[in-house]
Amino acid sequence: MSLVELSGITKHFGGVRALAGVDLGVEAGETHVLLGENGAGKSTLIRILTGAIAPDSGTIRIDGAARVFRNPQHAQALGIAAVYQEPLVYRHLTVLENMFVGQEICGPAGTVRRAAMAATVLPWFRELDLDTDLLARPMSSLSIGYQQLVLIAQALLRNARIIIFDEPTSILSAAETDRLFAIIARLRAGGRAIIYITHRLAEVPRIADHVTVLTDGAVSGTFSRGEISEEQLVTLMAGKARGHAPLASPRPSAAEAEPVFSVLGLSAPPYFTDVSWRIPAGAVTGIYGLVGSGRSEVALAAFGFLRPTGGEIRLDGRIIAPRSPKEAIRLGLGYLPEDRKLQGLFANKPLESNLTANVLSRFVRAPMRLDFGGLMGEARRVMSRYNIKAPNPLTVIRTLSGGNQQKGLFARWASRPFRVLILDEPTRGIDVHTKDEIHAFIRNLAASGVAVVVISSDLPEVLAVSDRVIVMREGRVVAEGWPRELGAEGIVAAAVGAAEAPRVPA
Amino acid sequence: MMSGARGRTRQASKPIPGQAALGRFIASREGVLLVTLLVLGVAIDLGSHGALWYRANVTSFLVDFAITAIPATGMTIVILTGGIDVSTGSMLGLIAALGGKLLAAGWGLAVAVPAFLLLGALFGLVNAIIIIEGAVPPIVATLGTLSIYRMLVFIVLGSAWLTDIPPVLTKIFVTTRLGPLPVATLLALAVMAGFAIFLRFFRAGRHIYALGNNEEAARLAGLDVLRIKRASYVLIGIFTGLAALLNLGESPLVQTSTGSGFVLTVIAAVVLGGTELSGGRGTILGTLFGTLIVQLVQDGVVLLHIQPFWSGVLLGLIILVSVGLSHAWHRPAEAA
Repeated sequence: MSLVELSGITKHFGGVRALAGVDLGVEAGETHVLLGENGAGKSTLIRILTGAIAPDSGTIRIDGAARVFRNPQHAQALGIAAVYQEPLVYRHLTVLENMFVGQEICGPAGTVRRAAMAATVLPWFRELDLDTDLLARPMSSLSIGYQQLVLIAQALLRNARIIIFDEPTSILSAAETDRLFAIIARLRAGGRAIIYITHRLAEVPRIADHVTVLTDGAVSGTFSRGEISEEQLVTLMAGKARGHAPLASPRPSAAEAEPVFSVLGLSAPPYFTDVSWRIPAGAVTGIYGLVGSGRSEVALAAFGFLRPTGGEIRLDGRIIAPRSPKEAIRLGLGYLPEDRKLQGLFANKPLESNLTANVLSRFVRAPMRLDFGGLMGEARRVMSRYNIKAPNPLTVIRTLSGGNQQKGLFARWASRPFRVLILDEPTRGIDVHTKDEIHAFIRNLAASGVAVVVISSDLPEVLAVSDRVIVMREGRVVAEGWPRELGAEGIVAAAVGAAEAPRVPA
Repeated sequence: MMSGARGRTRQASKPIPGQAALGRFIASREGVLLVTLLVLGVAIDLGSHGALWYRANVTSFLVDFAITAIPATGMTIVILTGGIDVSTGSMLGLIAALGGKLLAAGWGLAVAVPAFLLLGALFGLVNAIIIIEGAVPPIVATLGTLSIYRMLVFIVLGSAWLTDIPPVLTKIFVTTRLGPLPVATLLALAVMAGFAIFLRFFRAGRHIYALGNNEEAARLAGLDVLRIKRASYVLIGIFTGLAALLNLGESPLVQTSTGSGFVLTVIAAVVLGGTELSGGRGTILGTLFGTLIVQLVQDGVVLLHIQPFWSGVLLGLIILVSVGLSHAWHRPAEAA
């Protein structure tokens, strides 16, 4: 009998399916790795397992008994603990206090008994080889690696039997990672169930007893250690994309043309180093990479938002160095940001203002006077051209569906005669139908002669729109080529750093 | 690992071994404040040719200190939770006006004293309800009540000043002394000592820090976050009621401007004392020193015959310098 067993876990957010009938069983004394790309549903699964959100359907069994978590404390009481990438801590409280918030040991009058608390954590600190001097120090004085260890000690203190690690190594040094892995091995030997979430393929053989690959919200296979090779894991991670053929009618001639826009040897540590992109006009260049690979930062540097420390940016063969987005736009560069709520939309303004914000100058009739009738007409034209569903142009954009908001944002940027348009995650979190619509708009835009860049961690999307693909990992370009020639697996392998990854063409 | 190259990792360094307790105190925020206080005291003493030590001045300094220190204790707690209350001055004026009417109408202290405290609790609760139920940011909510409470003072008082406050408050809080200290001052020190102990040693006190450090984590740890917030605003209300009572003891007079500008003094004292406006860090001991320094500055302005508006300039500077100081102060610790 598994210590913890999930069956048929399903979860939707709005119209978007995050998890589709996930089954997962973890035994006591094993490390179970959950492997998947960004957006595969890993985070949603943890939030369900820790009681932060409830699944739409499906059951969670602990020791064979079905459980419904009422809240995070309930999940904790049942023995589940999570250690996150960025630990949730109380910076200015001491390490000891951090471990006991909400569960202090108190005297009869309600006074906190620090000595008793310190004595209680002592065995766990010994088990993790932590110095007890740390207890009196403020949490903020510890490195992230040590903060994670303190949270592990806290989990042990609360008798956690199921410990979830959520991409814990992404901000650790190599030495800290080794130490963490040693501790995980010890916890496992002590009979606890470890669920270890990652998108780093290289970590799987180091710690996994079993590995489950999560693709597009569904389990695409569970394997024992040694039963599956790295290539096979890559194939599975790419799974959903394999069914999607690369673009049916790419325009290789256009993609081979002289680049109209390029970044050459651009660096901005710590985000990216020595990155070159050559972007031709009249074609779509897809940039694939996991979150943190530096793809957006390169775009932001080209857009004048981030100052590069080396390299150059060229537009039409001329070196440019935009110092602000305003200057970049004037030069003919457009950038549609990743987070539409934060960076792109005027959420509380009507559709009309959102759609026409970039073309206001065309409707200036006199100083300080705008042609409002003309603006309304323009908004109506854009709405029908891009199939934006809203009662009328005065509808506040915040009240529309995510897909219609995204189309609106796309329409705003597409309405200007840009030479180069960079779209960062243009369809994240929107439904399949709208996705297809936006992909068609993107193709049309390229066909009209614009140099289009699509940054995405959604592989089917990259395959569906790109004439050419650039893959980035950890701040560098690691592969580049035709979608057909690289293939879905080649792209994923390069992005996650598998040994079989194709090399960057010389 | 990419993180190594990115230089984001920090090593936990060993604590500095065996420093003398005295050395640590002098290097601490409280130590610096104490030294500042002494330097300021000596400067004013010299500049005023000893007028600082005249009995009347000492008494008024000690009572002023009490009137600021009690709400400052409440303000420290509110700021520790990550909130703020800028309505304190108006609230003090309103409580003084309502309670003063009660006293002027001949009600005894047995009625009036609880009335002052209850009014404070009530107005504090109003702030809490707007902030919690209305999900209004504390600074906006209390800016709103700042204006409302002040307008109510005008409505309560009409055009007349309230001058017929019985002298009994002055007798109890100001003229009566235990040892060298007026009752008002002893009261303030008792409140501060009590809450310093509460914050340091009691579970509920530590939860206030936890909330101010990380509200999300505190909620996930099962703390009743809303209850802590509500209690802190009610508490500063009660303390403001107490301060209103002492204020009538010091000067038995209520006018429409009573308490205006007061909140600036209170916040300056708290911030100077090292409590961070972002919440989660600060001590009552710091607030004690902060209050003493702020009062000494205000007293010094009078004694040195500096024009009174400089007092406001100095308060503003104190807030700016101490917030800037705390940024500089904590940076090395965080980079360690």
